Amino acid sequence: MHRRLPLPVVCLAAIGAAFVALPVVALIVRAPWGDLGDALRGAGAGNAFRLSLMVSVAATALSVAFGVPLAWVLARGSFPGRSVLRAVVVLPLVLPPVVGGLGLLFALGRSGVAGRWLHEALGIQLTFTTWGAIVAATFVSMPLVVIATEAGLRSIDPRYELAAATLGARPSRTMWRVVMPMLAPQVAAGAVLAWARALGEFGATITFAGNLAGHTQTLPLAVYQARQTDPGGAIFLSLILVAISIIVLVSMRHRLTGGR
Amino acid sequence: MRRPIIVLCGLMLMGSACSSDDSGGSAGQGSAGAETQLTVFAAASLTGVFRDAIGPDFETRHDGVTITFNFGASDSLAGQIRSEGTADVFASASGTWMDAVQDDPGVTERTDFATNRLVIITPPDNPANVVSLDDLARPGVQLVLAAEGVPVGDYAREVLQSAGILNDAEANVVSNEEDNASVVAKITAGEADAAIVYTSDVSAAAGNDVTAVEIADDVNVLATYPIAVVAGAPDASLAGAFVSYVLSDAGQASLEAYGFGTAG
Amino acid sequence: MGLRADITVRRGAFEVAAVLEAADGGTVAIVGPNGAGKTTVLEALAGLLPGVVGTIELDGVRIEATPPDRRRVGVCFQDDLLFPTMSVLENVAFGPRARGRDARAARLRASELLRDVAPAVEPSAKPRALSGGERRRVALARALAAEPRLLLLDEPLAGVDVAARAEIRELLRRVLAGFDGVAVLVAHDPIDTLTVADRVSVLEAGRQIQTGTPDEIRAAPRSSYAADLVGVNLFRGTLEPLPDGAARLVTDDGAITVAPETRVDGPRAAIATLKPIDVALHAEEPEGSPRNVVHGHVSEVAIDGERARIRVDGHPPLTAEITAGSVARLGLARGSDVWASFKAVEVSVIVTDEGAAPGTLSG
Repeated sequence: MHRRLPLPVVCLAAIGAAFVALPVVALIVRAPWGDLGDALRGAGAGNAFRLSLMVSVAATALSVAFGVPLAWVLARGSFPGRSVLRAVVVLPLVLPPVVGGLGLLFALGRSGVAGRWLHEALGIQLTFTTWGAIVAATFVSMPLVVIATEAGLRSIDPRYELAAATLGARPSRTMWRVVMPMLAPQVAAGAVLAWARALGEFGATITFAGNLAGHTQTLPLAVYQARQTDPGGAIFLSLILVAISIIVLVSMRHRLTGGR
Repeated sequence: MRRPIIVLCGLMLMGSACSSDDSGGSAGQGSAGAETQLTVFAAASLTGVFRDAIGPDFETRHDGVTITFNFGASDSLAGQIRSEGTADVFASASGTWMDAVQDDPGVTERTDFATNRLVIITPPDNPANVVSLDDLARPGVQLVLAAEGVPVGDYAREVLQSAGILNDAEANVVSNEEDNASVVAKITAGEADAAIVYTSDVSAAAGNDVTAVEIADDVNVLATYPIAVVAGAPDASLAGAFVSYVLSDAGQASLEAYGFGTAG
Repeated sequence: MGLRADITVRRGAFEVAAVLEAADGGTVAIVGPNGAGKTTVLEALAGLLPGVVGTIELDGVRIEATPPDRRRVGVCFQDDLLFPTMSVLENVAFGPRARGRDARAARLRASELLRDVAPAVEPSAKPRALSGGERRRVALARALAAEPRLLLLDEPLAGVDVAARAEIRELLRRVLAGFDGVAVLVAHDPIDTLTVADRVSVLEAGRQIQTGTPDEIRAAPRSSYAADLVGVNLFRGTLEPLPDGAARLVTDDGAITVAPETRVDGPRAAIATLKPIDVALHAEEPEGSPRNVVHGHVSEVAIDGERARIRVDGHPPLTAEITAGSVARLGLARGSDVWASFKAVEVSVIVTDEGAAPGTLSG
């Protein structure tokens, strides 16, 4: 079907597309392709790549595990302070990541409000560990799952749950068998967004988990460290991030846009 | 209907291309006459002394001048100057990065203006009981350093090397921070057991937040800070005046008050 | 055993009160205009509404405080509410599974029911691929699969296209005849209720106006809705005597001439009924004997096989029943200009205030 698009729309769209694509193109052009192997090795690409995948996937899993129930409570519950809770849950999206990292530090760090107990009673320290990086990434990406899931829940006719009740289903069966399958596309979309956010997370990670190759130095941190001493390595690390993102987002395009 | 929108797009594009620099400087006392802007890129360790003492003093002495500071890790700043070239004055924490800027785009009036030594800091309660440099090699001590390439990170490793404990200490490193301020932050938050930073950081950070452990002179590093006017600065004489002020008795006194050693 | 319910439901400013009684195997129909509260009564019986006051007794057990998933109540909703992500078979098997049957047994029962109630539907199909009538069949099967003791059907013919309606009606009659619990059916179209219900309850603005067998209601409808329901023209107004022994019944919508059996000597409040079959329609003003001629426009045409019911908005409005052939011959459609006529003697008059005993006086 051939539709004519209005010229101003095309003009603005072209500017927008160029704006977003140009940095990526510039990276590709400036990369010293001849030194590929050495640069990657020097910049700790292997470790950073492995850590980034591990942290982003773990953070996404945690975001879904906790974010979906949270969205359920926000959408279907009725208790005082619900809108306050919603505002708090979405806060990580608005806060500068470094501020989030500081907050995590003061809450879960060794001397933190809750972290102190974790450390003294259970011997657990989150800072400077991979789990710390996962916690930081989860903090910034969970709101995306909550928002997508809550929107999905609101769009589902609540009468389906009434129908299930008349058929004898208890609330848990209704939730798992009736609502969750209907919600799956939105949860998936939220999870993809959360994963993308977790992959690119920098500020909260470096502030809370620190920067140590092999433990907490994900690709964004590795890029930042390499940019002065090893610009070629930094560019290649960046391109790895871009490549991973493009692969996943393109393969998920149907879920994100609803087909076509 | 369509044409005005395209014109609007074009105008907006051109307007946004002429951006103004804005990176947290002090508001100047503008009197009648044109406001002059001076941009100073300085190492993070100079934040306290430049922003709170030398900067305001200079502005008082030069009516109508507003200084905009850009503090950061010297390696990062050198990179920005080389690619962007928007600095008038560059004050680095190490000769290496001044060399880089001297290489491209070039500098004039390069002079060493201050020195700094390194010191060990721990949280006030010193949880790992670090009392000497050798303690940093003890297994289990959580040590934070600045990353390699950042001057204070390189200096710290030099010190550890001189003391012969570099490998053991490296094994204790739990995080490589991007500048000395982040290193100090980890200690004041009580997260790590120890770190190596500048003596100027100990005086800048309020005394109660960290405990300092001295490093013996024979293994310590004397960090020498050069300052210079960057080639291509729009008002070279004003930039030169700033450099002179830093080197003057008044400037040097401020530096000493903030824990720096004098040059030369 | 059976159902005994006496409930009041408050929804905002709207209150619905209903008393229902039925024995096992029986079917009660609740009819009424839109907004009367019929669906509210059903949802209250199913336990889907808060704020229900009163008692609901099913099989001798009080269930008004029981949560909906523990009442043995099955609902066939007006909008089906078939679960979109499940196949037809899984939908129907949902009830048995929820009540504890294992997956195989549940699927077996589901296929049996589907073969009986919706034989043309592919069990593996998804609800969105079905037509309105097919979805209704599946919804009915799903409600029955859970073996309810009380079956609630909310406008089972709504959304079913005209061609399929006769089949669905027949299906309902067969299913309800064989259902050993109590069925409560909400309907809008009289034909749906009169063929399957043992008792009909007319609900208007939250109040039960009349309850009885279809024949009892047809014989003595107490509201214009009930009258329309059973297909009768109902007029309510004041009877004024005319010199020649006839009378005029003056209503809010217009006046008609009637022939009461007993002489009326002063103004009397009265209700009159007129069967639609006794109303004739003409394309032009008729000449001749009918005492009543009403000019108006056609507001509704409903053709059911060979019979057609035409609603004319005149003063007063009338429903006429003519053959489908006449509709074509007269070229009648919505908006057509038409003349309706009927004889005074065809109108049954019931005087409702002091004096004459209530009851039909003629016809």
